[in-house]
Parts: sequence; structure tokens; C-alpha cells
Amino acid sequence: MLLEILGVIALLFGLFFCAVGVLGVIRLPDTLTRLHASGKVATLGVFGLLLGAALLMPSTSLRLLALGLFVLLTSPVATHAIAASVYRRREVLEELGQEPEPAEAEETFQVDVTAALSRSRIQDIIEAQERALRHHTPDIKRPGDKE
Amino acid sequence: MIESAFAQTAVQLILLALVSLLLPASYRVIAGPRLSDRLAAVDLITTLLIGIIVMLALVEETQVFVDMATALAAFAFVGTISIARYISEGRVF
Repeated sequence: MLLEILGVIALLFGLFFCAVGVLGVIRLPDTLTRLHASGKVATLGVFGLLLGAALLMPSTSLRLLALGLFVLLTSPVATHAIAASVYRRREVLEELGQEPEPAEAEETFQVDVTAALSRSRIQDIIEAQERALRHHTPDIKRPGDKE
Repeated sequence: MIESAFAQTAVQLILLALVSLLLPASYRVIAGPRLSDRLAAVDLITTLLIGIIVMLALVEETQVFVDMATALAAFAFVGTISIARYISEGRVF
């Protein structure tokens, strides 16, 4: 009788986490938080149900233990695989307004270097022109100027 | 094996609640904005099905259902891994 009461309590624990996980998968705003909710169902919910079943039916507890170990090993791996696929697609990070991790870091660095070079060259030309205007000395050599 | 009527009724009610959780979980399969949401919801549904099969084993008092739940967990793992790999890399193998 005590085992049955404990088993029903464990079953209710598992059912609670299953219901919370389904509610989270429906209500949460983006994919990664939904994965967070469904991971709770896979570990806590199913493990509570299996614990309750093992308490209610002790003759099958070895098979239930094997199933519980298998679920406990594989379902976080599956959730992690889904999350890694989401992260590699970079849709969620763009949706959140964050910068995705720069995979083309060298390319952007080169673009920045050329932009900085052209900026400094423009700055040099402007300063040289100002100096020339101040001193009336032509120290800018334009293409086509005669020496 | 479950003697008291209290535990039998509780097990049947919990089985009913788990089955009724399948419908709101399948809402995310239909309405998920992209493929990853649908994959996560299908994974959630198979996890719920494992729990349902274990509860069926309690109601029917047979041990075969637990082996069926183990097989379902194995196939669900392989399927989820391969579809996630298809989403991220565009191919499975």
C-alpha cells in the first residue's frame, strides 16, 4: 500500500513535468526556449513516470531501469543536436537581434583594413592640400603635373 | 499486480491525461514557424508516447510494453539525430 502511494506520487510528479513541458513548447517565444521546455519532459517527466511504474509494478523494475537509463542518455543528445542545428542555421540569433558569430572573420577584417586605408589616404590628401593652401607651395603631385 | 482500486484509478486517469497532452503538443508540429520547431515537437511527442506506453504496461499489467517503449526510444533517437543533421548540413550522411 505504501509502495502504491509512493508510486502514484512519482507518477503525478512525472505528469506535472510533462504538462509543464507541453505548455512551455506551446507558449514560449522562440526555438531555443522551446527546446529548453521539451528537454524537461524528456528527463524529469519520463523519469518520474518510470520511477512510479517501477514502484507500482516491482517485477518489471529491471526493464524500466534499462529504459530509464537509455532515455536519460539519449534524449539530451537529441535535444543538443536540434539546438546545434538551430545555432548553425543562425536564424534564431538574427531573430533575437544579436550578431551571429562571425564565420567570415578574415573577410570582414580585410574589408575593415581597406576602409581604414582609404580613410587615412583621404585624410593625408586633405592635410596636404591644406598645407599647400597655407604655404602656397605645391607639394601635391597630381598625375599629369609637370616637374 | 496493482491491488488497490485507488492506484488503478489513478493510473488510468494519468494515462488519460498523458494522451490528452498529445493534442496540444501536435499544435506546435502544425504551427511551428520553421523546421526545427517541428522537429522539437515531434521529439516531444515521441517522449510522451514512451510515457504513454509505460502507463499502458501498468494498466494492462504486461511486461512486453516496456520493451516496445525501449524500441521506440531507440528509433526516435536515431530519427531525431538524422533529421537534425539534415537541417544543419543539408544532407544526412
